[in-house]
Amino acid sequence: MDVSKPSDISSTIGIDSNSKQHGNLRRDIYRDRYLYMLLLPILVFYVIFRYVPMYGLVIAFKDFRFIDGIIGSQWVGLQHFERMFRSEQFFRIVWNTFILNVYQLVFQFPVPIILAILLNEMRRKYLKRTVQSLLYVPHFISWVVLGGILIAILSPSTGIINIILVRVFRVDPIFFMADRFWWVVVFIVSGIWKTAGWGTILYLAAITSIDPQLYEAAIIDGANKWRQIWHITVPGISSTIGILLILNVGGFLEISFEHIFMLQNQRVMRVADVIPTFVYRAGLQGAQFSYTTGVGFFQSFVGLVLIWSVNKVIKKTGGSGLF
Amino acid sequence: MVTTATTGEKIFYVLNNILLMTLAFICVYPMLQIVATSFSSSRAIVSGEVFLWPVDFNTDAYRSLIRDGQIFRAFWNTVLVTGVGVTLNMIATIMAAYPLSKNRLRGRNVFIWFVLFTMLFNGGIIPTYIVVRTLGLIDSYWSVWFLGLVSTFNLFVMKTYFQSLPQSLEDSAMIDGANDIVILLRIVLPLSLPVIATLILFYAVGHWNSYMNVLIYIPSPSRQTLMVVLRRMINTVQEQMLIGQADGTEGLAFLQQALTPEAIRAGAIVIATIPIMTIYPFLQRYFVKGALIGSVKG
Repeated sequence: MDVSKPSDISSTIGIDSNSKQHGNLRRDIYRDRYLYMLLLPILVFYVIFRYVPMYGLVIAFKDFRFIDGIIGSQWVGLQHFERMFRSEQFFRIVWNTFILNVYQLVFQFPVPIILAILLNEMRRKYLKRTVQSLLYVPHFISWVVLGGILIAILSPSTGIINIILVRVFRVDPIFFMADRFWWVVVFIVSGIWKTAGWGTILYLAAITSIDPQLYEAAIIDGANKWRQIWHITVPGISSTIGILLILNVGGFLEISFEHIFMLQNQRVMRVADVIPTFVYRAGLQGAQFSYTTGVGFFQSFVGLVLIWSVNKVIKKTGGSGLF
Repeated sequence: MVTTATTGEKIFYVLNNILLMTLAFICVYPMLQIVATSFSSSRAIVSGEVFLWPVDFNTDAYRSLIRDGQIFRAFWNTVLVTGVGVTLNMIATIMAAYPLSKNRLRGRNVFIWFVLFTMLFNGGIIPTYIVVRTLGLIDSYWSVWFLGLVSTFNLFVMKTYFQSLPQSLEDSAMIDGANDIVILLRIVLPLSLPVIATLILFYAVGHWNSYMNVLIYIPSPSRQTLMVVLRRMINTVQEQMLIGQADGTEGLAFLQQALTPEAIRAGAIVIATIPIMTIYPFLQRYFVKGALIGSVKG
């Protein structure tokens, strides 16, 4: 399968404009009646569990109460949004969400690319396979378990990291999870640990589809390893990088709720409180349904705008967009 | 491509191998450490003697987990949620993917965008909660099963696979008078076993590791799943440690009387992770294949 070709990506999304549809509509629907019967229940599922909640966003402009329901609750206009934009806490959680995402984009996004290139340079096939299998392991470990592992190995008294720090480097133990700087480091590094290995799969597939003749020609021209990587491998996977970048930026304010939730604690809330955790806490636990729906709406809306703009920019600069 | 490596390249290969093997070790080390911890004595853990191999080997942690019973009830709840969940997932995903894989289907593009749009925009936590609660699904596993019924990503993985099957097989069955459902069951599905296996695994890992939905929608402790119960055990220790530190209490002294000693916590983590880690080596091939089919979509 050729993952790198941009044409595949847009065509398999399924929108093809030139599929000719002729003949009588009613006859066609009757002919495919079984297909519609299969599809219908799933469309109903999407309506109830995906589109009704989208409609439910109107409660951001209402004062939601369960007894009144979504439709019956009182309209209050932009009251919740006014409160939101006056709230210092709102700006802090938006900033935290933003900056943690920027860190992830800068430090986490390039790691699978580099890893894939290095893996591709491994010559012993059995060694490469073993290394790959081990690199994929963290992908299957849940965030809850990852949180538990981190708390155990970073514990100031019994954690292996602090034991090494104290015994080998003769420094004071660091309370990683309760220090605002170290907490951010732990958040980023644990994210890399969990996602980087699995993330190499797509890049490795893209590298495989690069024509080996290009490398042979480069070697004849006297290009060293570094130049081969920089001038052949990297351009060869650039469209894959572009697509994944769009997806990453699109999910920008989404930030993995479970990841951050598992590491959060009272001592680091100033840097660790993000939009989804705030919505969960103030909305579900604090029953401020309408206000937090407004906050969530802001997040979804920004996400949509971002994915649309990045897609546009990448298309303008000659890359292949997502849609 | 056979070329003789220069000295510089040889050094590069050696360093590269060392680097990647180290990284591979870092990926599995924490799990190994947890396993070792779960079989070690509290004394050895607290004094930091455990490294990769149990010290004062014992099974006390597992015994007290069995005595407590909480984690095993959660284990069976998780088996139930995963088993039924995956079955529903597969039925629903096939039901949606097959019609959408047919070019001739009228309105196909509209349906595809209808489904795809949910990947770009969603109602968010609160409106979804309101819908589930209005339907009376709180504290029922149906909330979890319904909310995750179809993963749009997996739906497209399956649709892409169906489209790659030769159309001629279906055409000839059609001439023999078979309808679409017969064709799906007798011809298409038997040819789709690799993608079916892949998606079963994707969905199963998702259910097994799922935390958020159970936390929000299943308030009864007796119905909660492994990850939620495990999280509670871990959290108790963490909060206590933080309070301990704020009070100026010595962390070490505190840990010895912690509510959930480290070994028990490690044992719980092992129990929660073992099912996936034991099947993983056998099924890795499929996982990778599935990730690739999905990627074509983007």
